Amino acid sequence: MPIQINKGVLGKEYPPYAITVERGKIKEFAKAIGDDNPLYLDDRVGAASEWGDVIAPPTFAITLRDETADTTAFLKELGTDISRLLHGEQEFEIFRPLQPDQTYLCRPRVVDIYEKSGRSGPMAFVVRETTITDSTNEIVATMRGVTIVRL
Amino acid sequence: MKYARVYFDEVKVGDEIPPLVKGPIRQIQLTRYAGASGDFNPIHQDDEFAREAGMGGVFAHGMLSMGFVGQVVTDWAGAGAVRKLGVRFAALVRLKDVVTCRGRVVAKSSAAGAHLVDLEVWAENQRAEKVVTGRATVALPARG
Repeated sequence: MPIQINKGVLGKEYPPYAITVERGKIKEFAKAIGDDNPLYLDDRVGAASEWGDVIAPPTFAITLRDETADTTAFLKELGTDISRLLHGEQEFEIFRPLQPDQTYLCRPRVVDIYEKSGRSGPMAFVVRETTITDSTNEIVATMRGVTIVRL
Repeated sequence: MKYARVYFDEVKVGDEIPPLVKGPIRQIQLTRYAGASGDFNPIHQDDEFAREAGMGGVFAHGMLSMGFVGQVVTDWAGAGAVRKLGVRFAALVRLKDVVTCRGRVVAKSSAAGAHLVDLEVWAENQRAEKVVTGRATVALPARG
């Protein structure tokens, strides 16, 4: 029996949350990918660069989670659980690399929900966009993710 | 030479960037990526959970493969050069898979002082099946 997802979350905006990027998290992230670029890992190389400090890899924004939010709450509201999820697509637009010790404000919202049938049966696609701004309210990056729910 | 500076003027549509080979994927890398990214979905850690979920066993975070694709682009264009990176996760990456990331220049443009290069990017496994497909845009310096 396929599950039904709650399309009522379409258009929902989540409370903005602030995240201060930690230097060690950037390095941990780059190393987890196996990317040893000195502009991510070496503070001296960062300081001497056009950026004035180390920068984060292009996909680092995915780590900017709202640590105060209950992530299972969104899944419950959607009517699913984590075992049914697949990551369908992901996109980043980067106006400026994220950097350590900077505080960013993230504003996520659900921008689309649709269903279709794939090789492995019926699936729902939940599209979320997050806008990331810096402390002067300037846009730094946006990310758009498509989560697939196996129904 | 790794991290050699690439200039906009020298790039031609159709150029392929140097490939990046990652893997074989081991469980420890998925555990490490979970810690680094905050994505602790047990489907990437716990084989029994992944089997019960109907996925036939543990598979890698899509975002880890996207990280590899980001690296193939920044190894060539420079860290900080990426303006856009967008991918579709086309197939699962499993333990022991070897992931080769590639890119090809599809367009060049200059506007408002920025010199942009669009790339088709993808990652394939050891059976030459595409596991990630996407596009990237990088800003490159010009010789002037």
